[in-house]
Amino acid sequence: MAETSHWTGSEKYLCDPALAQAFHMARTLGMPLLIEGEPGTGKTELPIHYAKDRGLDLEVYPVGSKSNVEQFVARFDHVKYLRDSQIEILNAQREEKGLDSKLTTGDRDPDSLNDYVVKGPAAVAYSKPNSVLLIDEIDKAPREFPNDLLYALSHRKFIMPESGEVIEVSEEDMPAIVITSNREQELPTAFKGRCIYHYIDFPDQDTMNKIIDKHHPKMDEKVVRVALDVFYHLRRLGLERAPTTREILNWLKYMSEIAPNEAVKKIAGLEGIGALIKTQADMERVSRMIGADESFGANLN
Amino acid sequence: MLSSLPEHFRSHGLKADVRTLLLLRKAMQKGLVKTLGDIYNVLKGIIVKDPSDMGPFTKAYYAYFLHIPIKPGQTLEDAIKRSETFQKWKMDYVEEADRDITDEELVNTFLDEVHLTSYDIKEVVSGKEIWDKDNPDQEDTDPMNEDDDIPSRKLDKMADYSELSLEELLERMEKVREQQKTRHGGGSHWIGTGGISPYGHGGAAKNGIRVGGQGGGKMARKVMGDKNYFPIDRDSTLNDNNIDAALASIKGVIEESATEKLDVPETIKSGLKRGGLFIPEMSSEKNEELKIIVLIDNGGYSMAPYVRTVQNLFRKMRTRFAHDLEVYYFHNTIYDRVYTDERRTKAISIEKLLSHNKDYRVFIMGDAAMAPYEINSLSIESLKSIPQKFKKCVWLNPEPIKYWPHTYTIQLIKQLIPMFPLTPAGIERAVRSMNSKGTEG
Repeated sequence: MAETSHWTGSEKYLCDPALAQAFHMARTLGMPLLIEGEPGTGKTELPIHYAKDRGLDLEVYPVGSKSNVEQFVARFDHVKYLRDSQIEILNAQREEKGLDSKLTTGDRDPDSLNDYVVKGPAAVAYSKPNSVLLIDEIDKAPREFPNDLLYALSHRKFIMPESGEVIEVSEEDMPAIVITSNREQELPTAFKGRCIYHYIDFPDQDTMNKIIDKHHPKMDEKVVRVALDVFYHLRRLGLERAPTTREILNWLKYMSEIAPNEAVKKIAGLEGIGALIKTQADMERVSRMIGADESFGANLN
Repeated sequence: MLSSLPEHFRSHGLKADVRTLLLLRKAMQKGLVKTLGDIYNVLKGIIVKDPSDMGPFTKAYYAYFLHIPIKPGQTLEDAIKRSETFQKWKMDYVEEADRDITDEELVNTFLDEVHLTSYDIKEVVSGKEIWDKDNPDQEDTDPMNEDDDIPSRKLDKMADYSELSLEELLERMEKVREQQKTRHGGGSHWIGTGGISPYGHGGAAKNGIRVGGQGGGKMARKVMGDKNYFPIDRDSTLNDNNIDAALASIKGVIEESATEKLDVPETIKSGLKRGGLFIPEMSSEKNEELKIIVLIDNGGYSMAPYVRTVQNLFRKMRTRFAHDLEVYYFHNTIYDRVYTDERRTKAISIEKLLSHNKDYRVFIMGDAAMAPYEINSLSIESLKSIPQKFKKCVWLNPEPIKYWPHTYTIQLIKQLIPMFPLTPAGIERAVRSMNSKGTEG
């Protein structure tokens, strides 16, 4: 029986109640949870912390532009198979010539096809009941990839190539599947239809405070407050690439090395703001703002 | 039961069908649905597939389950206050609470009750205990604040339906919903002291419930006021606000493929080195193709407001994908040439344009509104020749679609080149039609 109790976050991970509920619902229904939201809102962190907290096995499949369903489920390594069978011939030839040295196939036996099936994260997760499977950044995949997944996700059954081995999982034992996307491309409707959908809101200032507390528990309160003011001020400017949770955490990490009073000064002076701003155009815009509006930064003290 | 639900949600532009009902049913069987707020939650997970669906979804939900219609531009608070459902609920509630309550507090309590989910419920207490405590005869106590250490929510009544079978629950929901709609429901409401919370009237509930934590009421409030949830009217003409939505839909024109291929030369080379043992070498290939010609009508006042936005859209596209993108200009319609600069001083002939590879996708943007004599035989020839050469060719028109039938030249051009409205939704349709043509050959 898969783990379906309601998980509300751990010591290190602050889980938004709405997200926790959607996650619970997805697990109860045995459906994948599709999380979308701005980068740096902790989409990927959810399954990682969940698996860690509950002591479950986690399989991760980071999606890239070359992802295909074979990597995800399983593929047959024809190259190794051919190599090993060639090696057998070679070894036989060498023996004939009376040579001792042999090439090894590394415990693989060309007679056993199973040895050449390379299992991807999906096959591994499906063969372990009660595991967690993370498909990270599915929007980076080629367009046909999500559609190829449809079958894999809804039928709870994989047939291994060539060897014909069947990996099947019951509805109760379905791994908890979490899929994340940064919305760089629209996912097919049919794919979304098979998932429970959740959009992560950008955390408000209070929530962000709590998140920071989880990551930098020793941080001076005043430093955090001033930094957050700057941070949310920047977000409101409507920059091309608004700073996210990840950036503020990095910025504060840098500030945590400095004495609190110094740090407050530095933050108000927008020092190391490069950690928050990612494009040249945004940087210019912010510089202009500071020049035009003296109160920016000044009113934060 | 609840069979009209998919249709209702579809009328709000959401995707719902019989599978939605099946999933809802499954969720009920798994015990995910105990309160009205749970229905909201579960349906949200099933139906909402995009942040911009959130607003319409909340709207549809309020109209369907609570009979609170939210008119365009109306806030949720306002809609609630004007609804009969709220008025009825308020009467019961105010009577019971026995103190002065501001409207705002009332709406908040109402929202909290509507969105109470079983996750909020901290503890189920015996119905009798609550019943005794909240007995109308004991008027001197405010039963909510008494003994619990959960300060925020003042809700301790919601029916526990664990005794009911699924069928009964569904039936009950449908019945209550109908009654809510026909406005003579008697004592039976979804929310408040009757209906779904039988406790309080007749004491039908076996168990009372104690709650804590944060409710979904906050969420709903936010959804209605937040432009992030009601962000873009996908059918409004392209402007700076919805340009990103348009960009997202236009991205579908990129052809991308990744394949693993047997690298024959490399296999032979390394095979020969091994003395005739040929071990296959693989290489991966990634192709990204984007070939686009954009033709923009930048003459005349009618197009002026859109030219900049359209340019902006394709500029964004170019910076993101940096592939072959060529922009040309024309005035009203295309004769024997198109211009390479905005001021229309340098021209290339239509033959030159047509000499591009036929894989190019062509977007023509213009309002196609002009004097009928402007479309002469030369122009018609040119307009015909473009889709003949480039199979993937569309015309995007900023003019609202309802005016199209009244403009002769639009009707004419529409027959020559497939025309779509210049809105995010229209662009999406245009791209989809291009892609489907691609597969046909």
